[in-house]
Amino acid sequence: MPVRHYFSCHQVLSIKIGTGDLAKYPFLNDASDYVRETQFDFQEFNRPEMNHIIDRAAERLEREIAKGLPDEKLDKYEIEILTFLVTLIMVKSIGTEPILKKHALFEAMRAEKFLTEDLMREKSEQKKRLLLSTIFKELFKVNVDISENDNRLFKVKITDYLMRASHFHEQDWKLINRLVHNGYVYLDADETVRLIRSELSELIYNKVKSMTLSTLPEAIKTKVNELSIKFAPHQQYRRYKSQDYPPCVKHALEVMNKGENLPHSARLMLATYMLAIGKSIEEIIMLFHNAPDYNEKVTKYQIEHLAGLRGSGTKYSVPSCQKLLNQNLCFATEECNGITNPVQFGRPPMLKGQSSSP
Amino acid sequence: MSGNKSTEKSAALLKGAFREYYFKYSKLLEIPEHLEQREFGYMPFGSGMIRHLSFRNRGDILATLIRDVPADVYCSNAYYRFPTYPMPEKHWFGADLIFDIDAKDLHLPCELSHSYFICAKCSEVSRAKSEVCESCKSTSLNQTSIPCAKCIFALKKEVRRLIAVLTNDLGIEEKSVSVYFSGNNGFHIVVSDKSFNALDSVARSDVVSYLAGTNIMTESIGVRKSRDHSGNDFLIKFPKSGLSYGWRKVIADKLVIDQSSLVKLGNIVLRNGGYEGFKSELGKMAKTLGVRIDPQVTMDVHRIFRMPGTINSKSGLVKMRCDDLESFDPLDDACLLGSRDVEVKTKISSQINFKLKGQSFRIREKILKLPLFVAVYLICKGLAEVTN
Repeated sequence: MPVRHYFSCHQVLSIKIGTGDLAKYPFLNDASDYVRETQFDFQEFNRPEMNHIIDRAAERLEREIAKGLPDEKLDKYEIEILTFLVTLIMVKSIGTEPILKKHALFEAMRAEKFLTEDLMREKSEQKKRLLLSTIFKELFKVNVDISENDNRLFKVKITDYLMRASHFHEQDWKLINRLVHNGYVYLDADETVRLIRSELSELIYNKVKSMTLSTLPEAIKTKVNELSIKFAPHQQYRRYKSQDYPPCVKHALEVMNKGENLPHSARLMLATYMLAIGKSIEEIIMLFHNAPDYNEKVTKYQIEHLAGLRGSGTKYSVPSCQKLLNQNLCFATEECNGITNPVQFGRPPMLKGQSSSP
Repeated sequence: MSGNKSTEKSAALLKGAFREYYFKYSKLLEIPEHLEQREFGYMPFGSGMIRHLSFRNRGDILATLIRDVPADVYCSNAYYRFPTYPMPEKHWFGADLIFDIDAKDLHLPCELSHSYFICAKCSEVSRAKSEVCESCKSTSLNQTSIPCAKCIFALKKEVRRLIAVLTNDLGIEEKSVSVYFSGNNGFHIVVSDKSFNALDSVARSDVVSYLAGTNIMTESIGVRKSRDHSGNDFLIKFPKSGLSYGWRKVIADKLVIDQSSLVKLGNIVLRNGGYEGFKSELGKMAKTLGVRIDPQVTMDVHRIFRMPGTINSKSGLVKMRCDDLESFDPLDDACLLGSRDVEVKTKISSQINFKLKGQSFRIREKILKLPLFVAVYLICKGLAEVTN
């Protein structure tokens, strides 16, 4: 079994990254170490006892791509390492960007969940520091330590925080809304882990991109063919004409068209705007089809909720321009002149002052 | 500048005075770190900016200053692989974190009492703030100011406030913070902590918002918008990370609360008319307590910034390092031009009072002989010209 030793300037840490951790975080280089050290031959995937791994990998991808949900099941080390490898091989063989981007994001969210739990529940500070050093520092060069006054909190070097959080859209990530002291920003476990989501996703993305595939084991090949057919509707980005929409909506559609993740506040703006201009629920659901975490059932429920068809029956109105400005979702152009709500965009001047809700 | 004889003579006088300065005080020119990675630019007298220049050493820069005698000289805060290439091809490595504190952004009560409005078309000077030039009716008026002791005191106070946040909150060591008098009506602050160099414009804008006190949320100090029907539109839940430092402490101190003041904070919110009222009050409070910096300067990662040790053509004073901010007197320490007499014609009808090089001046007559450093100061301010 691969063993890694970590050294600090003060002491040699006797603690090691165990196989339990590597099962949760197989993207650490140890996955390839495992293949190398056990001299695992890829043709071994054709053996019947490997069917379980191949099915597990295919299920994980189906859950992610078709249902828009991360796979949060955790098995023992050998199974997780091999499942991880097979999913990468499968995504590489399918060979399309939307599938790769979605898988990278869900794999990141899976790791994010385990890492948050570990940082919250782990009693040993030494063990917590090992995770911080192995994942945050070594992989992404993010300096994080446990807060001196409260071991539930973590302190992140201010520049590491700014480089990441300043690109998040939500107002609460603004530095002014954080506890800042002496060059550090203090965060709880899930906030700390959220900081590296896009880097985790990028790590998986690059792992697949840099893979070179030789002859695929027949068992994987058969599964890949099945998945390719199943995923066909998910492999094309749908493009929507966006030139007549206000710039904030246009921006959200562009982000969506690229298959990138759109923050919750932007999704709410997009959905309420589309409802306000009279688009049908079905048409709006299709707009969200390119979202990396798309889940038809959840999307339908949320849009119906916004339309007032569920819950308390309250119909949500389109957020005002001021609110969008505060959420960094406003991309105003000269054509916006005078409007206070995106629904007024393009209306004749005399109608601009009228209520935003149709 | 218009093309008349006086203007040409004035420009010639300034050029001569500036050249003399660069000869005599070449040691004051501060050569930036990583000179070969910096973009330089300068503004010649009477024409537009020349950018995308590069220099190999101090000698190269000095030779250009003495030969071409620019009105203003700039150097990038950014480091580039190819500083002379067009912007998209320069290959940005990073940039020093910079701040500009200018008296115009402090909105001081004394501002109008020493401001002059100069018509860009006919150069007519007016004391009163007006939309149009009384002489030619042009609407293009430039404001110029003769800073007073109150302005300098307020500017220094703002610099100290900025340094306190940079060191206490952002963790920047004091020795990494350099303060410069801008050469006119403000101070430039340069941070040489390399960990900040890689921050892009968006991250710097977040730093600006932190310093200036904008975008603060009530939730960050424990006031949340409540959707329940208890009668109030808010609830108090203090953040896990507490109120002990940074902005949270500043606001908590101002409201005289701590993490045990659940009821007291609730009453403060109620006194402000509930969640929305408190939100608006908090926004105003943070803006008042924030540092007044020019946001554009800090957010711009491709800016060419006035070079230390060069003359500012808006005043004839030198952009100069302030090792001891308290004792630094910009109107004395940064005034380094000669004292020979020069005949000038002032453009204003009322008396102008100011201090330069420790001497007080009360200028009333239209045509008079003045020491070179005073003549240059008034010409640069647009309030005088060399007699024809």
